[in-house]
Amino acid sequence: MRSAHAAETGGSGFASSAKLGLWWFLASEIMVFGGVVASYFLLRLAGPGWGDDIAHNSTLLGTINTIVLLTSSFTMVEVHAAWNRRDADAFRRFLGLTIVLGLVFLVIKGFEYGAHFREAIFPAKSLFWAFYYGMTGLHALHVLAGIIANVSLLVVAWRPEGLMRFGHRAEMNGLYWHFVDVVWIILFPLLYLG
Amino acid sequence: MAHSESSPPSNFLIWIYLLVLALASVGASIVFPSGIAEGAIIALSAAKILLVALYFMHLRIERLFIHLLALVPLFFVIVLFLGLAPDIIYGK
Repeated sequence: MRSAHAAETGGSGFASSAKLGLWWFLASEIMVFGGVVASYFLLRLAGPGWGDDIAHNSTLLGTINTIVLLTSSFTMVEVHAAWNRRDADAFRRFLGLTIVLGLVFLVIKGFEYGAHFREAIFPAKSLFWAFYYGMTGLHALHVLAGIIANVSLLVVAWRPEGLMRFGHRAEMNGLYWHFVDVVWIILFPLLYLG
Repeated sequence: MAHSESSPPSNFLIWIYLLVLALASVGASIVFPSGIAEGAIIALSAAKILLVALYFMHLRIERLFIHLLALVPLFFVIVLFLGLAPDIIYGK
């Protein structure tokens, strides 16, 4: 009888080398983003606070982007569920939706950057804005990398034989995508809600 | 569309929880005074992170080694924070 883990992940019950490698990579990513977030907290606690700068950000756009990314995590986990069912249509549909939602996130972020640039708010303006551009820029690069990985998977999985050969990679793409979502869950309150 | 017995409905429910928690965070920042709002937002964000990690990343059913891969870097981040805090916050 397969374990609960194997039944849910669709695997044999043992962590594959790909999954172990991905988690090692995520461990290094936790150190990268963790270091930046720890620095943000330290410098914020050391100073008078960045309330005015934070209030300058659009809570509405930040909230919409949060909803977009949380929804993309749902569609991504459904890609994996579709692979476990060997449901090719659902696999491609949810993967396509995840890609679109990732692009929507980047477009909204682009609008925000554009609005800031028009007001001459650049990273050099203050420590908060240096953190804002650094953290959101690094996160956006990760979203872009996730989109590229998902597009690659969609292309190779478009044909039935490609899906059977590469469909299991949905789990790795999903782990990475959910990690990017977790990072945004941390960044959103720091940069938009004060 | 074919459905497995448990995954799709539970994933949908987790997504709903995440949306409710996200909107609650925004509401807390508007309704509550600063100190209480910050505490509420931290608690709600922690809940969201746990939901994604446990259910979407399957950590609730993963093996100990995978948990360690996620937790050990967090430990080092805390060490980094506590190690630098005296210098940066208190200037000592």
